[in-house]
Amino acid sequence: MKIVVAYKWAANPQDAEVGPDGTVDWSRAKGAVSEYDPVAFELARVLADTCAGEVVGLTVGAAAIDTPLARKAALSRGLDSLVMVADDALRGADGTRIAAVLAGAVRAIGDVDVVVAGESSVDVGDRQVAMTLAAQLGWAGLNAVRAVTADGGSLVVEREVAGGVETVVAGGPVVLAATADAALPRVPGMKEILGAAKKPTQVLDLAALDVPAPADTIAPVSTARPDTGNRQGVMLDAADLPAAAAQLTAALRQSGVL
Amino acid sequence: MTEAVEPDFDVIVVGAGPAGSVAAYRLAQQGLSVVLIERGEAPGSKNLSGGVLYGRVLDQVFPGFADEAPVERRITRHVTTFLTPDSAVSLDFRSDRLAEPVNAVTVLRARFDPWLASKAEEAGVFLMAGVRVDALLTEPGPDGSPRVVGVRAGEDELRARVVVAADGVNSFLARDLGLRRTEPTNHLAVGVKTVLRLPRAVIEDRFGLTGGEGAAHAIVGDCTLGIGGGAFLYTNTESLSLGVVLRLDDLVRSGRTAIEVFEHLLEHPGLAPYLRDAQVTEYGSHLVAEGGAAMVGTIATHGMVVVGEAAGLTINSGLTVRGMDLAIGSAIAAADAIVEAVAAGDVTASGLAGYRRRLEAGFVLRDMATYGRAPKFLERTGMYGAYGELAADVFHGVFGLDTTPRRHLLGVARRALKESPVTVRQLISDGWAGVRAL
Ligand SMILES: Cc1cc2nc3c(=O)[nH]c(=O)nc-3n(C[C@H](O)[C@H](O)[C@H](O)COP(=O)(O)OP(=O)(O)OC[C@H]3O[C@@H](n4cnc5c(N)ncnc54)[C@H](O)[C@@H]3O)c2cc1C
Repeated sequence: MKIVVAYKWAANPQDAEVGPDGTVDWSRAKGAVSEYDPVAFELARVLADTCAGEVVGLTVGAAAIDTPLARKAALSRGLDSLVMVADDALRGADGTRIAAVLAGAVRAIGDVDVVVAGESSVDVGDRQVAMTLAAQLGWAGLNAVRAVTADGGSLVVEREVAGGVETVVAGGPVVLAATADAALPRVPGMKEILGAAKKPTQVLDLAALDVPAPADTIAPVSTARPDTGNRQGVMLDAADLPAAAAQLTAALRQSGVL
Repeated sequence: MTEAVEPDFDVIVVGAGPAGSVAAYRLAQQGLSVVLIERGEAPGSKNLSGGVLYGRVLDQVFPGFADEAPVERRITRHVTTFLTPDSAVSLDFRSDRLAEPVNAVTVLRARFDPWLASKAEEAGVFLMAGVRVDALLTEPGPDGSPRVVGVRAGEDELRARVVVAADGVNSFLARDLGLRRTEPTNHLAVGVKTVLRLPRAVIEDRFGLTGGEGAAHAIVGDCTLGIGGGAFLYTNTESLSLGVVLRLDDLVRSGRTAIEVFEHLLEHPGLAPYLRDAQVTEYGSHLVAEGGAAMVGTIATHGMVVVGEAAGLTINSGLTVRGMDLAIGSAIAAADAIVEAVAAGDVTASGLAGYRRRLEAGFVLRDMATYGRAPKFLERTGMYGAYGELAADVFHGVFGLDTTPRRHLLGVARRALKESPVTVRQLISDGWAGVRAL
């Protein structure tokens, strides 16, 4: 079975700066494997080990995603090989375009049985790239996946649905988006990182993938801090509890809540 | 002895700060196989941002580095300010001689450290990020004391002929081997630091700079609420680095927290003109070793050398905090000594003795000795309070034109001194101690 892990080399939100007006400055943010993706690596590796499968990592983005550090960070997480599309034409590309390029790369890799992705990316949080990829490929798409096992040629997939768990069987090729806690990802050790440097990486040429230019590009026109409502930020000293309780009821009365 | 296991690398360097990256680069340049292990997901991600790099030593490794490396500004102006609660007296040294050749630059570690590490990678170093070394692998050495043969992280072990401990001020590798004792608190200071965002043009206006010029302000007096230490304010391209360094024992004695002192500094009227409208973007706290030469212990043992701040190599003269330049200087010395030792096939403590010899011959240990008295000098509490008041009174006497006839400067100074708790004897003694220490 050929398993592709689609992951993102994403800017770390911890390094982003949010201005008082809500503008976000990503210029100092460093790249890393997006926070929810290691779960996908883990699911894919475990699945491959039970069915003598092969795991290929796949990421697309701007030229800067291809560094020795970025390659090792991915290859040390249980991949057999890595495929990248690193082209500045993809800088700031929206989720739909990323999904289209991923689809082109999956076709180029060939004979893929399943693509596993994380729930969403940590920087953009589109929550649609995996399902758009399924649509682009004309494959089935399943999100909220909490477990997957091989059963002969098909996959048994457990999904989290409202109020419970649903089990489905996928026969044909399928794209899966894992929940954030579907597996406990291993932290790569020194031997895995050393081994990573010896595994093959293939860089695909964007032009050769023949992905049609997007009909439209979606870009945010503004960002804003979350609305904190009309909080008044009153703090009561709780050293003397009964007194604090009295102050609280008085304050609630005064503001008309009680 | 058991059959020696073939090492995975010639050298394992632990810690990708300035010391580790430069050591790794220099070793790889001279043909050794090197792995550089960093616990952060990327170099620089764990390091407190910002500072002034006295960069002449880095020119030895990367000639003209300031043109290529992500440096913020070239320092052409050093300002020393004595603060009292309501006044500021400054000494302003600016000189074109500081600009060419480049003497000092400001750097933000989140950018600078990755650059240094990438230079090492280009030279062939295997950079291993996101791995925290948990322990040293040792075997009994020639004289019974342990010989370092590698490191362990999680379940994995890696072996090398030599391990370089470049793991910073808390160096657990050096401690693990008992090379460094637990420092008495008067050898440690706590640094609190923040990066404040301001537009480039505003910085250049406020600090009187043009182009890529930068200013470094050292501040003493009321900024630390009487606690031994000082503050600094450095200009980056589009931000300021502001911080305090406080003597740990003094801080504990004062019953205050470092954050309290730092907030006092942030709101100090003496700094307000520089900081107005600046936004805090980064905030961190870190220990600084400031025991002078007294803190440098054993730096080479069987199979291991200790470099940079892990070896206690920092100087806090009260007016400058230096560590990165000493880290780089020690890394060069260590790398060259290791190359020599590996070639000679003797990586015991005596085979690696060339490291200390080089350090003693170069600026690193000499400067450590020169400034060795600085911590003691700074223990003289007058530096943190009364002198600032005294200086302010003198200058108020000169510039505070209140329609009374002006006295001669000497008279002003005498009168200010008479009203100050500082005695002439103390002033002379501290002045002398200062001259000797700095
Ligand atoms: C507030 C403050 C202000 C300062 N200002 C200046 C200044 O203006 N100019 C100046 O020159 N110096 C300044 N210094 C000192 C300077 O920061 C240090 O001297 C310098 O960083 C030392 O470099 P280093 O490479 O030895 O250690 P570090 O820069 O501390 O690097 C050590 C590295 O080792 C890694 N590491 C640690 N343990 C492990 C482990 N077990 N496994 C793997 N990796 C590990 C860390 O993540 C880190 O990246 C300042 C320090 C402070 C606290």
